[in-house]
This record gives sequence, structure tokens and C-alpha cells, in this order.
Amino acid sequence: MSLRVLNPNAEVLNKSAALHMNINAAKGLQDVLKTNLGPKGTIKMLVGGAGDIKLTKDGNTLLKEMQIQNPTAVMIARTAVAQDDSSGDGTTSTVIFIGELMKQSERYIDEGMHPRVLVDGFDIAKRATLEFLENFKTHVVMGETPDKEILKMVGRTALRTKLYEGLADQLSDIVVNAIEGLVLDHGSRHPDTKRRAENCYILTCNVSLEYEKSEVNAGFFYSTAEQRETMVTAERRQVDEKVQQIIELKNKVCSDNESNFVVINQKGIDPPSLDLLARAGIIALRRAKRRNMERLVLACGGEAVNSVDNLTPDCLGWAGLVYEHVLGEEKYTFVENVKNPHSCTILIKGPNDHTIAQIKDAIRDGLRSIKNTLEDEAVVLGAGAFEVAARQHLINNVKKTVQGRAQVGIEAFADALLVVPKTLAENSGLDTQDVIISLKNEHENGNIVGLNHHTGEPIDPQMEGIFDNYSVKRQIINSVPVIASQLLLVDEVIRAGRNMRKPS
Amino acid sequence: MKELVTVQVGEFANYIGSHYWNFQDELLGMAEDPQGDPVYKTTSLDMDVLYRNGETSQGILTYCPRLISIGYKGSLGSLSCSGSLSPRLSNPESLEIVSWAGNVIQRTAELHEKNLFLQSLCGEESANRTNGADQESGLPQMQISDKDRIECLENGVQYWTDFSKVQYHPRSMYELHGLWTDCEKFDNYGIGEDTLSISLQSEEMNERLRFFIEECDCIQGIQFIVDDSGGFSAIAASFLEDIADDYSNTPVLLYSARSPASYTHGKSSKESVSRALHDAVSFSRLSSFCKLMIPLGLPSLSRSNLSSTLFVEDQKLFHCSAIYAASVHSVSIPFRMESQGVTAESAYISGATDVGGMVQMLTGHARQNMITILDLAMPFPSLTGENNQSILPTLCSLTPEIEENGYDLHSIESLIVHGALSGGRRISVSEAKQYVHTAYQNTILRPMFCHISAALCPLPIPLPFPSIFNDRVGRKGELSDTRLGEERRGSLEVDSVPMAARLRSSSAVKPLVERRLGSLRRYGLERGSLGAELLRSWGFGREEVEEMGESLAKMVMLLYSNTYASSQSDSD
Repeated sequence: MSLRVLNPNAEVLNKSAALHMNINAAKGLQDVLKTNLGPKGTIKMLVGGAGDIKLTKDGNTLLKEMQIQNPTAVMIARTAVAQDDSSGDGTTSTVIFIGELMKQSERYIDEGMHPRVLVDGFDIAKRATLEFLENFKTHVVMGETPDKEILKMVGRTALRTKLYEGLADQLSDIVVNAIEGLVLDHGSRHPDTKRRAENCYILTCNVSLEYEKSEVNAGFFYSTAEQRETMVTAERRQVDEKVQQIIELKNKVCSDNESNFVVINQKGIDPPSLDLLARAGIIALRRAKRRNMERLVLACGGEAVNSVDNLTPDCLGWAGLVYEHVLGEEKYTFVENVKNPHSCTILIKGPNDHTIAQIKDAIRDGLRSIKNTLEDEAVVLGAGAFEVAARQHLINNVKKTVQGRAQVGIEAFADALLVVPKTLAENSGLDTQDVIISLKNEHENGNIVGLNHHTGEPIDPQMEGIFDNYSVKRQIINSVPVIASQLLLVDEVIRAGRNMRKPS
Repeated sequence: MKELVTVQVGEFANYIGSHYWNFQDELLGMAEDPQGDPVYKTTSLDMDVLYRNGETSQGILTYCPRLISIGYKGSLGSLSCSGSLSPRLSNPESLEIVSWAGNVIQRTAELHEKNLFLQSLCGEESANRTNGADQESGLPQMQISDKDRIECLENGVQYWTDFSKVQYHPRSMYELHGLWTDCEKFDNYGIGEDTLSISLQSEEMNERLRFFIEECDCIQGIQFIVDDSGGFSAIAASFLEDIADDYSNTPVLLYSARSPASYTHGKSSKESVSRALHDAVSFSRLSSFCKLMIPLGLPSLSRSNLSSTLFVEDQKLFHCSAIYAASVHSVSIPFRMESQGVTAESAYISGATDVGGMVQMLTGHARQNMITILDLAMPFPSLTGENNQSILPTLCSLTPEIEENGYDLHSIESLIVHGALSGGRRISVSEAKQYVHTAYQNTILRPMFCHISAALCPLPIPLPFPSIFNDRVGRKGELSDTRLGEERRGSLEVDSVPMAARLRSSSAVKPLVERRLGSLRRYGLERGSLGAELLRSWGFGREEVEEMGESLAKMVMLLYSNTYASSQSDSD
């Protein structure tokens, strides 16, 4: 083989050894991540080599923190992380589903079944499950006035898997209801600027108020100091004129002495300009984030201007209250009581950095789940209900339509789906066998139920308000069998490097 | 005051940066040391250009580099990613978890032990803090001699943080996630592209940069060092693209650095094609997002002209990076000379310019070449009242793949000399300038234009500097004709060295650009070429590759053009 010439020291594993290496890697990764799943999972405290602490219950974060050395595990990790990047959740589910599918396959392969047969079955099962999902999902109409109750429940389902119940429920209100205002993570840079102002006109702009012509400073371009001075003064005047235009607008709109004026600039503002603005009673913030510029315009109204020529009062936005808050070297500027509260900032306070980071990750997931719901206009019953129902459909209906051994692949796929309720039960300290049997029975009797993680009894997820994202589920079902198939159909693995020793 | 923000991307860049900040830290320390050399007391070099004042959440005042360092996860060794200022938790078990009511698993990575050098740094700090009263923690450092510390660095630097004595800001260190480098070599542009697509990493990088830039009153530029040997080039390119977008008026001075190890190619043709294409793509992308690019990194320093005074072990990153750091330090000297007004002469500095001015000077002429060669003399030999003819040839290029002996009538040079000596005596700035000037007058192959900057302050040699001076280099960096005992001399034997560095915009850089253009054409563009598929897998379509080829071709064309620049020539 030409490939073998690549690296004469590389070790080549035969088909069966390669296959088992893949299966073991998938199972190994599953073991690491499965304790994450659900509201009864285990939080991980990661202590790094330099004593850094990271707190996470998120599969995605955990994977990224891990040192993964096995190439198969890396491949699975990439798939799982990509899943999270596109839909915001489902990393843990992806990994445990791949692991379980490999585990189920191993049983059949050890009995002499060819992987190809299993893979064919996976493909049929995947298509059938996707079809089933289409019928199983619960439509929710979003449109102009979205159903906040449903959104809150979806958000809560996501948050409760990451934070304790009380905190999760508190946050689910927050992530659904927009707060009226914004927080910028910087403050004004002039000591004489007001720290608090009411009735503020907001000028959002992207105009350099810096004197920055660098050639002027490079002495060798000038023969005399006077020549340089003239140039400097001319340059400076141009900047001052821009500042003056802003001050004129301020004087025009703030003639009543009741209102204030705030400039939020995406570009820089140098000290002389800050000084001029401060003397005119204007609060000025420089180097605002691009994203915040868009939000400001959304929230306060007005428009973001790229030039101070022809400024009119129409360009201005408005906020009822602007104030600054200082924490050590960190400054925050709050912009509140805005015209259009379409945009908001969530300020997280916590006892230490790693707690804040974890809550931030959780909120991100909560928000993503709500965004997904708005886009999907559908949700899926959670707590394992979908997985049990889909398995039943595959076994009772789909398997019969297929001739011969591909049935085995369908069965393996169907059983692997149960990894979700099984793991939920396991993490809650329940007997998995009992739980699965009672769930299966309920479904046989036509009741769509999920798992109550407190008692182990079947519950109606609809009643309990446990909903998952449709798009997350769909993506998991789409990608997992593809990866599993690739791992099963491997011919040989070429290993190189010291990190890839034989599995013990 | 015009601030500089520094960005370091990748392992070798961080090695260089680590030495670079050690020099700065040494300058700060020497200025405060009552027994120190008076030359450091007044330097007229403004540290605020590189450093920022701040405050920790505990209210302790800090003075930290204005720096963003990007590396892969695990490359910080024993340094916490939140920097050295935040307190290290001694006992994670005692930590209360307030956000989760369920079970907790703790996973602890193997602790990176601090080496002898870092331990003694910590000891010093705690001794300072407790005023020496607390003997319990202060005990072990007593037994560690400077020799031991130096030896431990010579024998075992594993991470760039192992020899760093600088305190970094909590926002300075950024670790890239999801690289999983152990099993995949992070050695080409495509892999870097893949990594960036994971999560919101570039957003976080931009955020941190903005933090440092927002607090600048009037930023003069960004000095950016990238490890150009592999995937970090793609990460840097994407970062630079965002910078060019967000801070369009802020000039970027880019050092693309390569360690000697990156020249050891794989044997197969596939690997060498991948290597050649990486070089071409990386060069094309990086150069398009900066104002001035300085390629750094010879295949071997021990076989370069510098070997007449230096004893560099090429395989040690700790060694090579020290040389490049010294050159970056020298280049940055004119950027932080305190403003004196144009005509005012100072006893300490002369020839100040800012990054924008430097860029304008080197690239603003007809040829508009922005690929600049960096030459270094370390230590800079003694100047005399004679014609100084032998001085300029001691400058050795740190830029690889250039024409060694080519003469370019149109070259533009900026030479920085600091801490110059004459017969073992430190000479004034005006003398140094005058001597260098005569050296230029007396050389046959004179450049079209040359700017000279000079400073009195030499390069201080901090304790963790490698022992790379040979037995001709004396305590003040003077070159002796006789051998001076110790074969390899380091910070215990040498206190400071006079330096000269030169930025040179010259057609001598042609081979470097041409080789990259050639690779791109041969492997990427020709019909049925070997690398077209590879480039596609890196995310570059045919059209993009063609565009890259065109811009490289234009660069080469400009280097061949001999149109005479209209601006006045000769030095200032």
C-alpha cells in the first residue's frame, strides 16, 4: 500500500483490532460524559495543571477541556462539539448515543455479523426515526406573539440540567423576558464626567475622535519645528471640529437643562476630545463593541452614524437612565429605561470566576434552546419520552418492513436510543432495568411517558413541562449513525506517534 | 504618550515574548535598584507605552504588559491562565459549589511543578510581602544559588512560562480549546482554520484585545508576533483580519517567526508539498492584513554570523528565542522614546519615531515593499573615531531566504543602536550616531535612505537569559581579544550588551517572496498539481488561490522595479 510508505515506523492494525479500538474509544468517551446527563447528573470540577478551576456540567465544555489522545475519540469529540456549535446543545447526548450504538454493534459483531449489515440497518432506522420525529414533535405557533409559557418550559428544561432547580427557574424567567436595558463593559475615561445621568440622548457613532496622523510625529519629514507645529495644529483642529459638531447638537437638544447627552463611539476618543466633551457636560464612551453598537440602536433608537457632518436630532436615541458602576479596574455603564427594550444584557454576579463562567455557559444554553424553539416552531417531549416512543416504533413497525439481516441493524439502533432514559435513571440512582420496563409497558399501552427522575415512575412530560429542542434531536439522529458507521467500516488504522499505543 | 499593544500567537512567539518581557521587567527593576547602573535610572524610554496600570479585585495596584498571548491548551505549564496576579487556590476540595445541588466529581490534572527558578521567584515575592519575618515560607530559597537557577533553565525549559519573571494580567493569557494536539500535528494552515471554527474563540480573542485598546488614549500600533510554523498562522491571520477591520487606523507591525525545528521537513513528497503550500498561503494571508511584515527565523543560528560571539544551541527554543526577542526589543526602542520635541537633543535618546512613522518610512516609497529584513548585531562591536568600516557588516540577517550579497540601490534602512561602547566606555547618543553615520558614509554600497535612532540604555541581561555568550564577551558586552575564562557566559558573567538592529526594506528579500509564489503556482495552480486538493481541504477555492498568486506576483514585480523614488534621499 502506498500509504504505508508514509511513515515506516507507523504501526498498522488489522481490521478486527482496528474495529475494537474504535469501539473501545467510543465507549470510553461515553463513560466520561454520561454522568453529565440530566437534572440529576454530576457536576465536574476540573483542576488544571496550574491549579485553575473550571466548573462544568456541560458536555461541550468538558470535551474542550479534556486532553484527548485517541484519534477515534477525537473524531467523536469533533462531531459532538460541532453539534453544540450549530444547535447549542446535545453534546453529551451525541457522545453517549455513539457509544451505545457501538456497544450494541459489538455484541453482533462478536457473534460474527458483518459491520456492513449493521450499517445498512442503521441507515434505514435513521430515516425511519427522522420521519417518526416529524410526527412526534409538538407544533407551537410562534409568530408575532410567541407563547411565553412554552418558551419558559423549554428554557427551564435546558437550565435545570446545568444549575440547581431554584436558580434554573429564576433564570428561565429572565431568559424569556427581555430586560429593559443594556450594560456596556467599560466606562468614561475622563475624571470630570458625570457618573449618573437621567433623560439621556444617545449618540451612537463610529467616528474617530483621535488625532492620529502618524507621519506628523516622525520628525524626519520636517525640516523645522515650526513646520511640524503648523501641521500638528491643523490636524488637531480637524478633530476638534468634529467634537464641536457633537457639542453643537448637544446644545441644540439639551437646551432645557433637564436632559443629558451621551456619546457612545466605536472608534477611539483621545484625551483632548474627552476633555472638550466633558466640559460640555457630555458623557463619552470610546471603543464600544461592534455588537453593542447594533444593540444600542435597537434599544435606544436613533441610528449609528459614521460621520458627524450633518448631524440631526433624528440620529439620536434615548435612555431614561445612564450610570456607571466600578469594580476594581472593571467599569460598567448601565443604559436603562430605553425606548425599545428589544435587546438586553444579563449581568451575572457570583462568588468567584468559575461559578460565573458556569452560569454564563448555562444561560447561553438556555437562550439557545429558546432561539431554537422560535425557529423550529416545534418542541419534542423530553425526559426520555421521545426515545422510548421511537424505539417502539422501530421495533413494532419498521423492523417488519425489512427483509433479512438488516433487521439486526434496526434493532441495535432502536436499543441504542434507550441510552437516554437509561442514563437519566442511572444518574438518578434508580434501577435502570425497572425503569426501562415500566416505560416500555406504558408506551405499549399507548401512553407517551418519560421518566420522573425523583421517583423513577413514568410521568407525562407534557404535564410537567419538560420539552427538548426539535432541531437538536434531529441533528443528533442525523449525525450519530453517520459517525458510528464510519467507525464500524474502518479497514485498518495506521498508528504513528508515541501517544497511540495499543489499548490495554 | 502613544501606546503599543502586543500580541503573541503560538509557541515560538510566546517564547520570544517571554524573553522580551523579561528584558522590560529587568529595565523596570534596574531603574528602581539603588545599587543599579545609573544608565538605567534615566533612560527616557517610556515604559507606559508597553505597560498598563491596573488594580486587582482585591485592590492591589498592578503594572502589567499590555499583552495578549495565545497558545494551545496546556502550553502555559505552571502558569495559571488567569495570569500570575490572581491568587492560586490552595485547596480545591474546600470549594463550595453554589450553582449545583447534585453530585460533584473532581478531576485533577497532574500538577505542573514550578521549577527551581520559578520557586525562587515565588519565595522572593512572599519574602517581600511578609518582610522576611515569616521564615517558614522563606526558608528554601536561601539555599538556591543563582547558579542553580540558571542551570535548571539551561537543562530543562519545557514551557515558555518556565523562565518568565513577569506578572501577567488576567486577560492576557488565552488558551485555544479543542486542538487536541497530542495525536494530530498542528503543523499546517488548514488545521488552524479547523480549530478556529470551534465555538466562539475568535470572538473571545477580539474581546480581550478590545479591553486593552479601549484604555489606550492614543494607540500608536500593535506589535504582533506569530509562530509561523503551523496552524497558528491561520489563527493569527483571522485575528489580524478582524483587527484590520475594527482598528483600520492602527498600524500592525508583524513578526512572523519560525523556530529552527520548523525547518526539519518530513521526507515524503506529500509532506514537503504541504509544507511549501503552508509557507505560501501563510505568507500571503499574513502579509495582506498588516502594514509591515518582518519574517524572522534562520534554519540555524549556530551557523550564522552571530556565532562569532554567541553560542546558540539550535534545538533549544529557550536559546533561539532569546536572540529574536533581543531584536524585537531593539526595534521597539524608538517607539517608546519620550517626546522631546523635534529639534530638542537629548542625552539619552535620539531619532524617535512611532510605528506609523516607521511603516511610512520603510514602505512609503515608490516600491512600497512591506516585507522587511531584520538584521542584528549582538553585541554591537566597539565604535571608534576611525572610519568604522567594519561595523555595518557585523549586522547579521535574522530573516531567512534572502540574497546575502545583493546590493540594492533603492534600499531604505532604519538602524537602531543602543548602549554603544567605544573602547570599553559607554558613549553618548550623539557620538554613537555620528560614528554610525560615518560608517554609512564610508561604505561603498550605501542605501538610498537611512534613518538612525540611538539610545544610551543597553540591553540588560536578566537572570533567566540563557548562557549563550561566548568567551570573548565581557561584562558590559565589550568584545575582548583574549579568552575570558567561562566558555559559555550568561547573566552572571554579562550584565548588559550594546545592541544594533536594522530594518531594511530591500530587494534582497526577493528569493523569499519568489519561492512562495513559485510553490503556490507549482503545487496549487498548475493543472493537475499535487496540492490543489489539499488547498481545497484547507478551505481555499481555486479563485482564492489565484488571487493569492496575483498579489504575490505583484509583490515580486515591485521588488524588481527600479523606478527612482521621488523623495529626498540621504539620512536625516
